[in-house]
Amino acid sequence: MSVDIQLAPVIHFEPGVSTSKPSRSGNLAASALRAGSLVAFVAILLVFSLTAPYFLSVGNIGNVLGQSAISGVLAIGLTIVLIAGGSNVVTGGIDLSLAANMGLSAAVYATAAQLGYGDATAVAAALLTGLLIGAVNAIAVVVAGIVPLLATLAVMNIVAGLELVLTQNTVIPASTPLLTALSSSGPLGIPALAYVLLVFTLIAAAIVQYTSAGLQLYAVGEFPDAARAAGLPVRRLVAGAFIASGLCGGFAGILSVSNLSGSTTGSGEMLLPVVVTALLGSVFSRRLVPTVIGTLLSTLFVGFLVNGFQLLNISSVLVSGVQGLLILLVVSATTLLRRQEA
Amino acid sequence: MTQDKPAQGVGRRDLLKLSAVAGAAIAGASLIGSRTAAAEGELSLKGKRIAISATGTDHFFDLQAYNAQIEEVKRLGGEPIAVDAGRNDGKLVSQLQTLIAQKPDAIVQILGTLSVIDPWLKKARDAGIPVLTVDVGSTNSINNTTSDNWGIGKDLALQLVSDIGGEGNIVVFNGFYGVTPCAIRYDQLVNVVKYFPKVKILEPELRDVIPNTVQDAFTQITALLNKYPEKGSIKAIWSAWDIPQLGATQAVAAAGRTEILTYGVDGSPEVLQLVADPNSPAGADVAQQPAEIGRTAIQNVARLLAGQTLPRETYVHALIANKANVNEVTKKLGIG
Repeated sequence: MSVDIQLAPVIHFEPGVSTSKPSRSGNLAASALRAGSLVAFVAILLVFSLTAPYFLSVGNIGNVLGQSAISGVLAIGLTIVLIAGGSNVVTGGIDLSLAANMGLSAAVYATAAQLGYGDATAVAAALLTGLLIGAVNAIAVVVAGIVPLLATLAVMNIVAGLELVLTQNTVIPASTPLLTALSSSGPLGIPALAYVLLVFTLIAAAIVQYTSAGLQLYAVGEFPDAARAAGLPVRRLVAGAFIASGLCGGFAGILSVSNLSGSTTGSGEMLLPVVVTALLGSVFSRRLVPTVIGTLLSTLFVGFLVNGFQLLNISSVLVSGVQGLLILLVVSATTLLRRQEA
Repeated sequence: MTQDKPAQGVGRRDLLKLSAVAGAAIAGASLIGSRTAAAEGELSLKGKRIAISATGTDHFFDLQAYNAQIEEVKRLGGEPIAVDAGRNDGKLVSQLQTLIAQKPDAIVQILGTLSVIDPWLKKARDAGIPVLTVDVGSTNSINNTTSDNWGIGKDLALQLVSDIGGEGNIVVFNGFYGVTPCAIRYDQLVNVVKYFPKVKILEPELRDVIPNTVQDAFTQITALLNKYPEKGSIKAIWSAWDIPQLGATQAVAAAGRTEILTYGVDGSPEVLQLVADPNSPAGADVAQQPAEIGRTAIQNVARLLAGQTLPRETYVHALIANKANVNEVTKKLGIG
C-alpha cells in the first residue's frame, strides 16, 4: 500500500544519486558532526564537573541516570519507530501517543494497585495497556494506511481522554512492594531506576542493533522499496515497531508510578522532550541514524544539562531554550548532510 | 495534616466564638503580628544556602510567594537555590532529588500534591536537611506557613452578617467541603450565623464545581433568582473561594438584583475590582497575602537555624477587602 512509500524519505531512493565525491565529503561532515557532538557532550560534562559542586559525585550521576529512566525508556521506544519508519519527521516514523500511553498505563497500574490487586496483575495490566495502544497505532498505520504523524496524534487524544475518564483528572496514590523497590536505592546508593534504565537499554540495544530483525527494521526504514524487493515483511516489521513502542510506553508508565508514588496528571508534557531526545540521538551514532545507544546518550545529555544547570543555580528557564536550540541544530545539520549525500 | 487540623480547629473555634460575640476580632491578629516583629531583629541567614522548591509559578499565589522567598533569603544574607517545576510532577521530584544531593541548609517547599512530594521530603529529612512547607501540611515538614483559614472564615462571616443588618436569607456554595480550607471557612460561617437567629442559610446549599466554575455559578444563581423573585428574599451569596463569587456577582447584576451582596475568599484581582466598583453587588473578598507568607516561611527557616523551636503551623493574617477599604488592600497586596 501507499503507506510504505509515505514512510520513506523521498531523497533516499532517487535514482543515480550516489556519485562517490559528495558522498565522501558527506561522510567526512557526518563523522565531524558525530565527533563534534561527542566532544560537546564531554566538554559540557567537564565544565560542569569543574564548576558545579557535587556534579561528579556517584550519588549525583546515579540521580541523573535515575531521573532519565522514564524519558529514556520512552525515547528508546520512539527510536524503534524512527528506525522502522525512517527519520523524516513529517512523513517518517513517529509515535506521538507515547507520553499519553505512559500516562494511561500509569493510571491503570495505580488504579489496579488501589483496587487491591497485586504487583503481578498491575504490571500485566499496565504492559497490556501499552501493548494495546501500540497495536491500535500499528493497525492505523499499516492497515488503514494513515500517516504515522496523524494516526498517532489521533490515538494520543483517545488515550489522553481515557486517562481523564479513569482518573477524573486527579492524582491516584499507589504503594506496592515493587514500587517501593523501584523508588529505593540500589548498590552504591544509586537509585534502582538507574539500573533499570541501563539494563533496559542493553536489552533493547541487543535486539535492535545485533539481531537480524533489527537489521531488517533499518532496511525497511531507510530503503523500503529495496526491503520489499528483497522479500522482507515490511508491514509486519513496521507494525512490530509500533507495538514495541507501545510496550515501552506501558513500561515507562510503571516506572512513572514508582517515581511519583502514584499516577498524576500532565503526562502529555513528556511528549516533546521525548521527541527531541529521540531525534537528538542520531548525532550520537556513527552513521547519523537513530540507534538505541545514541538515544541513551542523548537522554543522559539532556539529563546532565538540566542537572548541571540546577547545581550551578542557573534558572531552569534557560534549559528549555538550550534544548530547543540543540534540536534545531541537530535537525538542520542532519538534513543538510542528507541533502549533501544525495 | 488533615488529622491534626480539626483538633486545632476545635480550640480555635471556641475562642473565635467568644471573640465573634465580643466583637474583639482584631486582638488575635495583632498578637501574631507583634510576635513576628519582636524576633525579626536578630534573624540572619549569613552563609546559609536555602533551597526554595516551587510546584509552579504560573498562579498569582505561587509567583508572589516564590519571589518573596528569594528576596527574603537574599535580604537575610543567605544564598537562595530556587527551582520551579512548572506544575510538572516529574520535574518536581527530579528537582527535589537533586536538591537533596546539593545538601542545602534547609528546603522550603511551596505547594505540591502531598502523595507525590512526601516521599522525597522524607528522604530530605532522613538526609538531615530540615524541610519547611508553604500551604501544604506534611508530617515530614517541621513547619507549614499558611493562611489562617479560621480567621478568614470568621472575618468573611462577620462582614456578611453586618452588611445584611443581621437578618435575612443567605445562599451558600458548599461544593468543596472535602477540601480542608473550604471546610474551615464554611464551619466558621455556620458558627457566626448561629448567634444571629434571624439569618438563615437557604436549603439546599449549592454545589460549586471545577472546571467551568464561573459559568456554572452564573447558571445556578440565575435559576435560584427565578425561584426567589421577590426583592429582599435573598440578602447575600457566600462561597468558600471567589471564582463562584465571580459568576454569582455577574448573575445578580444581570438579573438587576443588585440588592443581593456576594462574598468570597482568595483576592483574585478581577473580584477585587468588582468589590471596588460601587455599583457592583460584590460585597467583600478576603485576600491571602502570598508574599507575606513567603517571607514568613523564610524567617521561620532563620529562626530554626538559630536554634529556635517552630510551631507546627504559622498562620499569616489574611486581609478582608470590603467596599470601604478595597483600595487600601489592593495597594498592600501590590496588585493595584
